[in-house]
Amino acid sequence: MTTIAPSAPAAGSEPRVKEGVRDAYRTEVHKLMAQLSTRMLMLVCAFGPFAFAAILKVQSGTPSDALFGVWVHSSGFAISLVILGFAGSWGFPIVAGVLAGDLFSSEDRYGTWKTILTRSCTREDVFAGKLLAVGTFAVGLTLMLAASGLIAGLVFVGPHALVNLSGVLTSPGRMLALTVDSWLVCLLPVLAYTSLAILFSVATRNGILGVLGPLLVALVTQLLDLIGKGVIVHQLLIGSAFDGWHGLFTTHPFFGPLFVGSAVSLVWIAVSLTVSWRLLRRRDFLAVSSGGAPNWTTPIKVVAAAAATVAVLALASSVGPTGVTAYRVAATIGREFNNVTLLQQSLIGRRVPPSARLYIQPQCNRRGTKAIGPGDWNCNIYVYVPQPNAVPYQLTSVEYDVSVQYNGCYKAQSPPAFLGGQTMLDAAGGSVTNPLFIVYGCFNPL
Amino acid sequence: MDAVRATGLVKRFGATTAVDGLDLVIEPGEVRGLLGPNGAGKTTLLRILFGLIRPDAGSVELLGRHLDHLGGDVLDGVGGFVEEPSFYPYLSGRANLRLLAKLDGRGAGTDEVDGALERVDLRRYAGSRVGGYSTGMRQRLGIAAALLRRPRLLLLDEPTSGLDPAGARAVAKLVRDLAADGVAVLLSSHQIGELEKVCGSYTVMRQGHVLWDGTVAELEAQAPDSAYALFTSDDAQAHELAAGVARVRVQRAARGGLMVAARQEEMDELVARLADARILIRRLELMVSPLESMFFALTAVESALELDSLEPQQMAERILAGA
Repeated sequence: MTTIAPSAPAAGSEPRVKEGVRDAYRTEVHKLMAQLSTRMLMLVCAFGPFAFAAILKVQSGTPSDALFGVWVHSSGFAISLVILGFAGSWGFPIVAGVLAGDLFSSEDRYGTWKTILTRSCTREDVFAGKLLAVGTFAVGLTLMLAASGLIAGLVFVGPHALVNLSGVLTSPGRMLALTVDSWLVCLLPVLAYTSLAILFSVATRNGILGVLGPLLVALVTQLLDLIGKGVIVHQLLIGSAFDGWHGLFTTHPFFGPLFVGSAVSLVWIAVSLTVSWRLLRRRDFLAVSSGGAPNWTTPIKVVAAAAATVAVLALASSVGPTGVTAYRVAATIGREFNNVTLLQQSLIGRRVPPSARLYIQPQCNRRGTKAIGPGDWNCNIYVYVPQPNAVPYQLTSVEYDVSVQYNGCYKAQSPPAFLGGQTMLDAAGGSVTNPLFIVYGCFNPL
Repeated sequence: MDAVRATGLVKRFGATTAVDGLDLVIEPGEVRGLLGPNGAGKTTLLRILFGLIRPDAGSVELLGRHLDHLGGDVLDGVGGFVEEPSFYPYLSGRANLRLLAKLDGRGAGTDEVDGALERVDLRRYAGSRVGGYSTGMRQRLGIAAALLRRPRLLLLDEPTSGLDPAGARAVAKLVRDLAADGVAVLLSSHQIGELEKVCGSYTVMRQGHVLWDGTVAELEAQAPDSAYALFTSDDAQAHELAAGVARVRVQRAARGGLMVAARQEEMDELVARLADARILIRRLELMVSPLESMFFALTAVESALELDSLEPQQMAERILAGA
């Protein structure tokens, strides 16, 4: 360096427009856009659903464990909803972690807190700017994934009617509205996961824990879903809020889980951001250690606190009433069996009057020691079929193995010997999905 | 209006008191050198002045505005950096400056940013990612980032660290020129020689306290003897002459020549006598300046280890200690 000239006469007081939060927001957007991880997320959200739909197109298998999974070859909306189900379990926590988990800790890693906090923005400006920027990206990526999933499904499969979670074939227009609604109601829990990632990032000052934190929370949520029968603790978890949209897809929609999930998401957002801000506001920005082992004291404390929380949740996960009872399972699956049987009859060309009803007596029992709660159930459905010369009816029974989740949603599958395989021939001789083979349904667990 | 007015600053970290009742006043146009051994509290003081850490007691006013330690407008007109400048490695130098300009609310004028990069001779690397910059280049980028704020108060921590000699000289000239324009500068450095080129006043710290502060004139009046290496055409006679000058101490150096401890006035007297005696001065080298000798006197001897040219200072110290 040989020619450092002085700047223009010292000013510092020249008139200018200064909006701290806006300036910090624009800065953070710029930084996020410049990061490889953000660009990768955008690529995945934009093109991942197309790849998924293309792979499904060239194979006969279906992701039948996911709600609507058996219908992915029949309706494009099913593809979007399967993607939404996966995103709720794993995709959104990953997006939140990658976007926000390193948002604050990266400033520690690069030693840039002192660079940005010695400009003309307050800590409050920087904090708010970061929140708004990462919120923008979280919402943007969610909407991008929604649009991409929907378009991919409609392009590769088509805008066909889809059987809803009550076993009723629903028109494409209605399905489109419900699918869009479902993605939109997931925005709040997405922001809740994002807020949690921010908290991890601020509290641990460690990018690894910040990124992995939401994913670990999602994993814990999945595990708790398996072990607990109580509905209260489950409803307090962020992951459960992603189940709220299921109630929209029944013939008689229920909104309780949706409202509770939204409220719980708001509480998580408020708590996470309040704690994050208090930590950041009180913090002294000391020298960054330039060598040696990184300081793991704080991350270890945070992990220990998280482990303790998980332990408490695990112990409490069976506390309170369960939403899954024999009556609810039997009543729901009985009604749904009626609907899908009539649908099947219609598909094979038989005339089904609008008021047609089967005479059904379902009987459901939970496998295992407890008579109630999520888990594996067995349902025997006794169908009384009116036939000429029979006194008074011919009794037929169908057995379903039913896997019921804490949120009231289930997948029921019957051995092929009872009801045929996954596909069948319709009246025109084409291969269609057998609506009786795998049945998805939901009831209100609250 | 003072550029900096800090009163009664105290900062503790557990049982350690990093800054202990410190007062500091810097006026516009003043270039103040901040010295002290490691752990003296210099960096903590700078971090307090930047609002990065909050003091346990005391108050700070920057350019007449009370610092509330949450940054913001109170830092308008304040530029600089503490410890090594840090930037986003995945962005270019230009993108980093534009981003910081946005945080300043100035927008991202390309001309202004490129002008700042030009001033620190980084224009050629403006589009390169900072992750590939050398230490000296990051230092220069830090100076550019400070200039971009058009500061009225510059707080600089080791600004010439990692710079080549030409770069260090350029920084010194920049600081002098800014001061001439009324910019107040607080310059923390271990390189006393660099400070002497630009500072008009000094603050010496140790263990969180201000041990001494004052102007260059006060320093020269109060500092202990400086140490010189003297090589003449006749060292034996020069030694005899020097021994006869009041308050001058002299001894033969191991590698030839003389080591002399004296204040400026006595040294002038010695030079005059050597001239009268027609003894030629072949080399006269300041080994320990008044600032260095003051620093030695005020801080522990082991702090000499922190200085750049260890050997001459140790020699000079032996002279002083042998008095």
